[in-house]
Amino acid sequence: MRAASRLVLLPGSFGVAALLLGLATTPLAAAQNDSAASADFSPHDPPGEWRMQARDFAATRYSPLDQITVDNVKRLRVAWTFSDGVAYGHEGAPLVVGSMMYVVAPFPDVAYALDLSKPGSPIKWTFAPDPAPLAVGKACCDAVIRGWAYARGKLIYNLLDDHTVAVDVQSGKQVWRTKMGNVENGETMTMSPFVVGDKVFVGNSGGELGKIGWLAALDVETGKELWRAYSTGPDELVKIGADFKPYYAWMQGKDLGVTSWPANMWKTGGGAVWGWISFDPQLNLLYYGTSNPSPRVPVQRPGLNFWTSSVFARDPNTGAAKWAYSFTPHDQWDYDGVNENVLLDLRIGGRTRKVLVQFNRNAYAYTIDRETGEVLVAAPFANENWSSGFDMKSGRAIVRPDKEPKPNVKLDDVCPPDIGGKDWQPSAFSPKTGLLYAGIFNICMDVTDHRQSYIAGTPYDGMEITRQAGPGDHWGEFIAWDPATGTKVWSIKEKSMTMSGALATAGDLVFYGTVDGWFRAVNDRTGKVQWSQKLGSGINAAPMTYLGPDGRQYVAIYAGVGGAAMVAKAMPGFPPRGSTLYVFSLDGDSVASGLEMPQ
Amino acid sequence: MAAICVGFATTLSACKPHNDSTAQGASRALPAEGSLSALPLGDLAGTAKLLAVNEVVNPLADNAGAIEEGHRLFIAMNCAGCHGYDAKGNMGPNLTDAYWRYGGTPSAIYNSIYEGRPQGMPAWGRALPAKDIWEIVAYLQTLGGAVAANEYQAGMQGDHGITSTAPQAPGLLNAAAPSPPLQPP
Repeated sequence: MRAASRLVLLPGSFGVAALLLGLATTPLAAAQNDSAASADFSPHDPPGEWRMQARDFAATRYSPLDQITVDNVKRLRVAWTFSDGVAYGHEGAPLVVGSMMYVVAPFPDVAYALDLSKPGSPIKWTFAPDPAPLAVGKACCDAVIRGWAYARGKLIYNLLDDHTVAVDVQSGKQVWRTKMGNVENGETMTMSPFVVGDKVFVGNSGGELGKIGWLAALDVETGKELWRAYSTGPDELVKIGADFKPYYAWMQGKDLGVTSWPANMWKTGGGAVWGWISFDPQLNLLYYGTSNPSPRVPVQRPGLNFWTSSVFARDPNTGAAKWAYSFTPHDQWDYDGVNENVLLDLRIGGRTRKVLVQFNRNAYAYTIDRETGEVLVAAPFANENWSSGFDMKSGRAIVRPDKEPKPNVKLDDVCPPDIGGKDWQPSAFSPKTGLLYAGIFNICMDVTDHRQSYIAGTPYDGMEITRQAGPGDHWGEFIAWDPATGTKVWSIKEKSMTMSGALATAGDLVFYGTVDGWFRAVNDRTGKVQWSQKLGSGINAAPMTYLGPDGRQYVAIYAGVGGAAMVAKAMPGFPPRGSTLYVFSLDGDSVASGLEMPQ
Repeated sequence: MAAICVGFATTLSACKPHNDSTAQGASRALPAEGSLSALPLGDLAGTAKLLAVNEVVNPLADNAGAIEEGHRLFIAMNCAGCHGYDAKGNMGPNLTDAYWRYGGTPSAIYNSIYEGRPQGMPAWGRALPAKDIWEIVAYLQTLGGAVAANEYQAGMQGDHGITSTAPQAPGLLNAAAPSPPLQPP
């Protein structure tokens, strides 16, 4: 079926239309796959809505809307804009529920509800949580916010000062606010909460400041903490019990979160949970990754440093770990494992496997059996030279000794750099092609390690880095990837970093942005750019699409450069900060557009 | 020109005449502990006169050993982790340019380190002895952005790198300007 047949409405009927759309929760019709790859698009939200950052539990960022197509996308024009005036990195995607849009600006984390049924999408309410200014200087990588969640009539998000807050979407008033930790010690929160049923899952930032990482479950109605699972430490803290079955022998054993560290160093060992969460409702498992170990100077922490730079599968009800996998044991280069885990069903070796796919910072794309943690495919998607290959038997990349940093010795040309072959910017999946789409990096670094002392509230970091483009002299690239075979299908080279999220739609399009401010729509099969628009700042956020109360399909993206993209700030022509949400439609039409004095 | 040291002369060994702001080497004593606490962060309200404490020079500014030690401390105390190994800014501000939110004179930089600042700069006054802080200040003074001790007012008014100055306001305007002493309401 066409998920987005256009509604023709008279002015005045928007409210009714919104109601109808809100109720029109027909499950997604099976896309016309010509690939064996598919995904479970639970919770099957209304096709025109976008209720969580990746739209679905499987983290596909795929929309069934198809008004905007390869053929007509050249008519895409700005319909309306919204500026929140905040000069930090904008990394999240707006949510659309019914006829309302919800956005949250970076620090000081002000939330806005925008009424899509009215001309210009005016502000319905504003919520200013007033987080502590101290947080700005404790956030390693700009005072960003990576996303927000909608659940049960509440907008839920994390404040940079280490609190989680829920706001009533009708009134714009705070429902609850939970203190998760002490920002003075260098713990902040930047990730997007993730909701399953009556629980919201949140994690911390602070892996650059020696904070031990954790994921916590809070009650959606009250904010009460239900459980918390740490990334390092004894099994009890990590919530490792009898159910825990890592696939590989070298990850099996008691209290590895303690014994893989020098005495007590797990307590300041990092493994922060600042990336994305996904969920498989059939297996009833949550998936998320952990950050780099602290300090980032490896010689100070001999051992495999479990469970940093890893992925966990956990029971959402209890937090109990089912399996884990360490992408980069003893991570020596800051290759966090926090990137999105896209949950797909793939034909591999003649049978269908339930997998998760992660484009890891270490430049390998992993296709992992999400029931067991077995690596099925591991292949570099970006330029790398830290490994000499991948040992499928042990599930480990083979480290090149000459690319291991040593204190006070400048080590040239390590690829990828600290921010990886791809950072947290989320990929998208289209069931129509069976491919994943991702903005990646082509960057290398020269690195000098400096031994660190732990001083609470200050960086526990130690990497002096300069970064430069890898081969080809382009910093960015946007790729289509076949996760069943581990091969690049097509790619677009970009001279600046490609550090935005991706969006795939049933209109056979994928959307992405660049750090030099270009927003593009691409044919999902050929990689041909169909449309480009230069925006007012660099793009780090993720695009999304929705059906307005007027029945039109819109595409929205924030342009506000920041976060890790600031590593390129010294490049000539690097864009200024920005804070504008751009919303596009065919011909720029929107609610009451063309009226002389829309009210 | 005479030094303006009224009220501080007895405690500030480093208080010097304006024209003599260059450091005198390691032999000079450090300013007394706590003496910089009178340094205001903002410009002075009303007609109050500039406080001499603004113009305290860094007694270690020209001491090569102190500068080297300051650089070592800049890395060892994790300053570099925030401000960058090149001090050009990252989590924390750039310390090599002329933009100083809390003042760029040696005494202002000293106070920013000693007291901390609201957006995440820790207060180091209890963790580091005064000598270490002055050494860090000495290192930062070599990076090109710091404001000279005797240019406190110029730094506050944005007079870095100016190439000309507009004519003074007419005498009549100055004469007419009221200057009542500040009174409590």
